[in-house]
Amino acid sequence: MQQRRTIDQIHTNRVLLNGQLDTPKWWAPTVIVLGIIVAIGFFLIGIMVNKGLGVTGLSRPVYWGLFITTFVFWVGISHAGIMISAILRLSQAEWRRPVTRAAELLTVFSLLTALLFPLMHAGRPWRIIYFILPYDFARGIMPNVRSPLIWDPVAISTYLTGSTLFLYIALLPDLGNLRDRTTGWQNALYTILALGWRGNPRQWKLQTVGGILLSALMLPIFVSVHSIVSWDFAVTPAVEGWHSTIFAPYFVIGAVHSGVSAVVTMMALMRWLWKWEDFIRPEHFDALARLLIVVATGWLAFTFLELLFAVYGLDAPELELRDMQIFQWPWNLLFVTFLFTGYIIPVGMWLQKSVRNNIALMFWSSLFVNIGMWLERFMIIVPGLARKTPFVYTWEAYRPSGLEWFILFWSLAWVTFLMLLFSRFFPLVPLFEQKESQTFGDSIKIGRVRVPAIVREAD
Amino acid sequence: MSKSVLGLYNDPNQAADAMDALKNAGFAQGTFDVLTGTPYPEGAFGEHVPQHRLFRFPAFGAIIGFTLALFLTAATQIAYPLVTGGKPILSLFAMLVILYEMSMLSAVISTVVGIVIESRLPNVNPGVYDNRITEGLIGVVITTDDDKADTAIDALNGAGAMEIKQA
Amino acid sequence: MASEAVHSGAHSGVHAEAHEEAHHELPARVEPDVTTSELIATTEANATGVRNWMWILGALTLVGIVVAFVKVLIEWSDQDEWGYTAAMVAFLFSAFGGAPLVAIAGTLAKGNWVRPIARFAALCSLVSIICTIWMIPLILNLPMLVVDGARRRSIWFEGPDVSPHIWALVAMITLIISALGLIYAYAIPDFAAMRDHSTGWKQRFGAWLARGWIGTTVQWRTMRMRIGMMGTLYFFTFVFVHFIISTDFAMSLVPGWRDAIFPMYHAISSIQAGLAVTVIGLWAARKYLGLNKYLHLDQFWSIGRLMFAFTLLWGYFFISAFIVFWYGRSGSDQMWIDYLILGPYFWVFILAVLFIWFTPWWWLIWNRVRRSYNGTAIGAGLILLGVFLDRVRLYVAAWTVPEDRIHERFLTEYPSTVYPDVMDIFIMVGALAGSILLILAATRVLPILSIWDVQQFNLLYRPVEYMKTKVSLIGKPD
Repeated sequence: MQQRRTIDQIHTNRVLLNGQLDTPKWWAPTVIVLGIIVAIGFFLIGIMVNKGLGVTGLSRPVYWGLFITTFVFWVGISHAGIMISAILRLSQAEWRRPVTRAAELLTVFSLLTALLFPLMHAGRPWRIIYFILPYDFARGIMPNVRSPLIWDPVAISTYLTGSTLFLYIALLPDLGNLRDRTTGWQNALYTILALGWRGNPRQWKLQTVGGILLSALMLPIFVSVHSIVSWDFAVTPAVEGWHSTIFAPYFVIGAVHSGVSAVVTMMALMRWLWKWEDFIRPEHFDALARLLIVVATGWLAFTFLELLFAVYGLDAPELELRDMQIFQWPWNLLFVTFLFTGYIIPVGMWLQKSVRNNIALMFWSSLFVNIGMWLERFMIIVPGLARKTPFVYTWEAYRPSGLEWFILFWSLAWVTFLMLLFSRFFPLVPLFEQKESQTFGDSIKIGRVRVPAIVREAD
Repeated sequence: MSKSVLGLYNDPNQAADAMDALKNAGFAQGTFDVLTGTPYPEGAFGEHVPQHRLFRFPAFGAIIGFTLALFLTAATQIAYPLVTGGKPILSLFAMLVILYEMSMLSAVISTVVGIVIESRLPNVNPGVYDNRITEGLIGVVITTDDDKADTAIDALNGAGAMEIKQA
Repeated sequence: MASEAVHSGAHSGVHAEAHEEAHHELPARVEPDVTTSELIATTEANATGVRNWMWILGALTLVGIVVAFVKVLIEWSDQDEWGYTAAMVAFLFSAFGGAPLVAIAGTLAKGNWVRPIARFAALCSLVSIICTIWMIPLILNLPMLVVDGARRRSIWFEGPDVSPHIWALVAMITLIISALGLIYAYAIPDFAAMRDHSTGWKQRFGAWLARGWIGTTVQWRTMRMRIGMMGTLYFFTFVFVHFIISTDFAMSLVPGWRDAIFPMYHAISSIQAGLAVTVIGLWAARKYLGLNKYLHLDQFWSIGRLMFAFTLLWGYFFISAFIVFWYGRSGSDQMWIDYLILGPYFWVFILAVLFIWFTPWWWLIWNRVRRSYNGTAIGAGLILLGVFLDRVRLYVAAWTVPEDRIHERFLTEYPSTVYPDVMDIFIMVGALAGSILLILAATRVLPILSIWDVQQFNLLYRPVEYMKTKVSLIGKPD
């Protein structure tokens, strides 16, 4: 299945740096359109801050709605980066090479976006500061480190800082490359950013050893982040459907499912938009789809366990909740949609080799997954809150307002906007990884056939 | 006065020969180096395998982060001793997440610092260089005294350098 | 992945710190005919030593079975007397049942390093037979779903009274079938090698099982598909058995224990133990069968890393459950901590955490340890001890809950500690001895390393010169 062919370094530079050196024609108009959407979104958020959360559909008893769902959704997407980049680096999977940078980038930008949602959701975002800093020294009032609501910012800022640094370290060789290809102010910029990169054995060694070490450090962070997000819910016994021991790994594997799918979406776009057919090949989609089948099936098993052990206790309120979630209108529609888009349709497609190697179909199937995964979060968060509970004197169904829907749409535009901006200045496919795969790719002769082979260093 | 000489090669094997030639001409390991646009298997040019102490950085960082986190979590809870759910004020499990995240954050930051330092970056005065190295040429660079520069140039040329640059 | 060593590899993992260590040579390739004759010879190797061991293990097994019969006669009605047997069965299934996943996952991921160890890992699944035998007294002793008109919480909800009993049996039998299927699917070419190179009954046996294997392209292709199918079947059965054992033989016996992660926790620690069993088996194969030529540091190093990863995962799965209960304030949440952690088996719990998680974590974190045969084997031993203690704390605690309280909302009075009596010890030793005996006996028939896998490994592996250094080339067909 090897579709790799020999590509010399000059050609690699020319093609993979086309975003920076030879900006495509579609780039400026797309960025302007997205910029307008982004500006409208910020304007609406401004209105919301000014008028208050009344402009959303949030009301007693559902106070966690679309914003929190979307927050969890984007944190989930952010898991793509480290999953792909760290696990595949550690397992030395060759097919990771064109994927890592884009995946790490998705981590950084989706986390940035995720962080905005709790801020918006707070209604008066500036008061978030009270969560984090001691706000009343006189009375010695301190932030409560025992609250999961303070774990979140700690975990997410750790992950954001870590993945940004990781991204930067892996960019160093490519920054050196860009420095060599540019003139004027760009050259000055890249010269500073590249820190005087030369490409001697010491630097390459640190690049690889450091990459592996950072991967090994980032993996536990990646697992912890979504676990901590899940504990926002799971350590709350008061809300039915939330207090489950499986939430942490369930959220993590769901995040990997949605995140890797988002990487597929992004890779397809990259291949189409920048015409990187030589670098992002069907074999990469095939490998990602195989990985996704395993991840999705694991995720389904966790979903099953979550549901099973929710009803295992035979507590009447919990049974009622699950009855509503699965069988009552309109939740039943959402549930069926979630099951079909999250698992049945995409995995059914991926089981076919022809689909795995068809980039358009992979693109659409990966979009399905993320529709399903967004719904999953919505179905976890909202139904439990919408139930009648002791001390709550009113309850009603939650219906997100138009403004909330627009902000969800805005967040998609915002992430794309950031990605495109980044692509103007930095390569989305790591060039040195491509060249390395050329250096390390070889073949061995067995009988009459040449089998592709990979050089592994003795150690 | 020391001088920096760069030989450029099309073929990696020639560059490896140039490294040998420099070694044979009596230049010390560490005064010459090979520059490539892509990583090669270690030792492919017969170069001295670089040593590093990267693994100390994350350990050091984690200890610092853990200590800070322990101070932060313990101090805030003691400063505002609010009993929750009948649990002790200093409950390890409630502090665990913060301890963990801060240790990891500090470990990652110190690793990144470690990578930069151990790579000998930022390199403010990097000497002679050629842009084509990132296009696939292999550079062999040597820093030596003025009087030995000619010996070096001869060694580099002897291995088949396509171009010699000096600075 | 490259094998032992010339330089510390910039590319081959976190081990670069070890470069001060001795520079090993790349392992040499072994010719196919040498592989065949040497590996066939291992089934006869060290015959007296192995035979003596088999006698000892056989005697221990027999004593265990006899003691079990005695126990049935005198202690039949006491459910709490069977806790240690349950713990042992859960441990044996966890450890030996998890090992084949190393082979399956490695094969599916097309890793070359896994080839020499796939046979041993697959053979471990034979222990499912021992587990099934020892499940019989447990199944017979497991309380009905409805006791005195009250139904306990279980995954069977309103199902028939004997659902746990029937399904446990079904699960175990499916496990045996898929285990044998897996071993056989891997072994057909080796049976052909036995047919062609052995003598006596082994030759006839090989000829019968090889089913006319001559190694045509079609046969190889079908075999690969068969391995894929049997591997998938084994994997799903493995998960199912964990689900059944962990819920019916532990969780549902403790009223108020509702822990959605528990089946997964059980399976994760099982894979951890399975890796450990593989390491110990390979270590023994090197030491006692002299297979140094075929088993390199690379295998130990790779499994060592996986063991380390699963050790950390154990911590993660444990804390995921623990923190939810710790923050929960309901009676059943508190019960979980008070009974299963702080309760009668507190010290067992502490030791379990120490050996399953803490010591292997700080032991296997060192690359120098993972890159040594003895170091990984010690790590593996620690893990096995830890998993055993963990099973003891969970299963003995579960089996000592009195039958008449089992349907309560949650446990309010905790039974006191039950220590193993002499009979328990004989039963546990017997069950373990039986498991080892079975694998040892199997290696007297089938080579402990699969001949064709080792040949394939060597076919795709080339130590070569790369400019001024030595590297290995690993072929990646498909």
